[in-house]
Amino acid sequence: MSLRIPISPPTAAPDQIQDAPSRHHMWQRLSPYIYIGPAVIYLVIFMIIPVVQGIRLSFTKTPLVRPDGGTGVGLDNYSRLLGSSQFYNSLGATILYTAATVAFAVLVGAGAALLLNQAFKGRTIVRAIITFPWAVPTVATALIFSWIFNRSDGVLNEVVGVFGVGQQGWLVDPKYGMAAVVLTSVWKVMPLVMLVVLASLQSIPSELYEASRMDGAGALETFKAVTWPHIAPTVRVVTLLMTIWSIRRFEIIYLLTGGGPVDSTNTLVVNVYRQAFSNQELGRAAAIGALGLVLSLLVTVVYFIIERRNAAKEA
Amino acid sequence: MSIDQAQKSVQQAPHKRRLKAPGQRQFSKPFRYIMLAALVLFSGFPLYWMLNTALSEDSELYGQAQGWWPHWERLIDFGDLIGSVPIFKWLTNSVVIAGGTTLLSLVFAVLAGYALSRFKFHGKGAAGFLLFATQMLPEALLVVPIYALFASLGLLNGMGGLILANVAFTMPVSVWIIKGAIDAIPYEIEEAASVDGCPRVTILSLVLTPLILPSVAAAAVINFFDGWNEFLLAKTFIAERDLWPASVGLASFIGQYLTSLNSVMAAALLFTLPALVFFLLVQRRIVSGLTAGSVKG
Repeated sequence: MSLRIPISPPTAAPDQIQDAPSRHHMWQRLSPYIYIGPAVIYLVIFMIIPVVQGIRLSFTKTPLVRPDGGTGVGLDNYSRLLGSSQFYNSLGATILYTAATVAFAVLVGAGAALLLNQAFKGRTIVRAIITFPWAVPTVATALIFSWIFNRSDGVLNEVVGVFGVGQQGWLVDPKYGMAAVVLTSVWKVMPLVMLVVLASLQSIPSELYEASRMDGAGALETFKAVTWPHIAPTVRVVTLLMTIWSIRRFEIIYLLTGGGPVDSTNTLVVNVYRQAFSNQELGRAAAIGALGLVLSLLVTVVYFIIERRNAAKEA
Repeated sequence: MSIDQAQKSVQQAPHKRRLKAPGQRQFSKPFRYIMLAALVLFSGFPLYWMLNTALSEDSELYGQAQGWWPHWERLIDFGDLIGSVPIFKWLTNSVVIAGGTTLLSLVFAVLAGYALSRFKFHGKGAAGFLLFATQMLPEALLVVPIYALFASLGLLNGMGGLILANVAFTMPVSVWIIKGAIDAIPYEIEEAASVDGCPRVTILSLVLTPLILPSVAAAAVINFFDGWNEFLLAKTFIAERDLWPASVGLASFIGQYLTSLNSVMAAALLFTLPALVFFLLVQRRIVSGLTAGSVKG
């Protein structure tokens, strides 16, 4: 004659566990900090302090050989930079490099994604070949392209020679230096755009295409009504990432041209490095770096303003 | 709350397993094939040329036109192919640096990912912001102050110091990967364990970590890939040739043609192949990680 009442053990939500008064109360409140602490402290030491230190350095004259002992010079580094044509040349090179690399990488990458979104024989292999460059280490990339662009024995000169063009110094002629660097960069980063846009294309429900076909829409109309609205946010994000990464890209440029010929590819980050480790002027280098950071931040802010405006339009 | 998160991650799953290609036509056939051929040529040729250069005769490289086809027979004597390039020493250094970076980065990431996923605490938003914002900082800006810091600590010219610096750049991404993975595990599993009186650390290491092992592995591969490719910090911090990783070692041949280029290219191929393999392992995950934000919104 027993009433069996199912008794379930008292289950508590995570928050309640934490709030329960217990011997472990203090310990419970502290424990998240024990888990997140190491990472935060690490980033403060190796990222935040160096950034602050870098900004501090930018107000000093500090030689490379004595990196911790500089003399304060106030705004001197900045006023000198803003008054020198070399700085504006460097800023211009950064903007030109970034704009060209992003434009070509996004256009070619998105185009490749559209092509690869259609079924055809050998698609897997083609996609793999187009993707591989992204995985090739930057140093290997620079090595192979510097050989392809080589003035006397490079294969590019052999190819253009067929069309009657004489030998060109692709990496040593100021006319071509930037183009060569941009081409190499596009080769390397375009696959990422392709993969990301392709993933977005493949998440479009096929019913939308069917509906559009039933409405009798042509290929271009379908693209405008179905495809583009769906992939546009992805394309915007990938454009932002490409822009930020291009502003700060160092290795390809440094290894191919070292900022030359005649400073034509001397972007801000390459300039920072040369100021610091060739001219041994840490203070001036830090000032260029700080201005470069401002440029990155500006791009991010503009992106978020555009995103917000788009969100408002949709709502 | 945790079930919601689990469901959310299930709902996101279809993006990873892609739907069958809709096969809609946007381009005419010949145009499509010409464009595809051009793309394959653009992307594939430099890699092919690296192989072809590595497998070419010394006499071909300078002064006369390089042949269009690789001399496969040169593969037989591989030692001869590598020549005087000390690539194996440098590759060993790269393994040490990339391995150390991966290990240290994962320890921080598992702990921090757990905290961000499972706790509510003051400063959580700030910690998340710190992890996000530091990813935006350019290496080339930080290299000067980190160099100054390491010079005063005596950490220059050693692989240990290089690993410490690398981790600062690779760890934030790992934290996000691990946090996402833990978010997708139902909280009930840990609850059962904690009712049994298991301390949290044990739950994390013995219960949770095995469950998120695929994500930990992915984060490990990404970290290793980054450590393997890293050039700027290594070039700046390490002056001694014997301590160079392969990236710095190979870069030292760019623009100088004293060492036979075919040897250098063969060494570069050895350096590239592992990177290609890592990449194939994680390609999907990187892409889904990058798109998650934009696809959702």
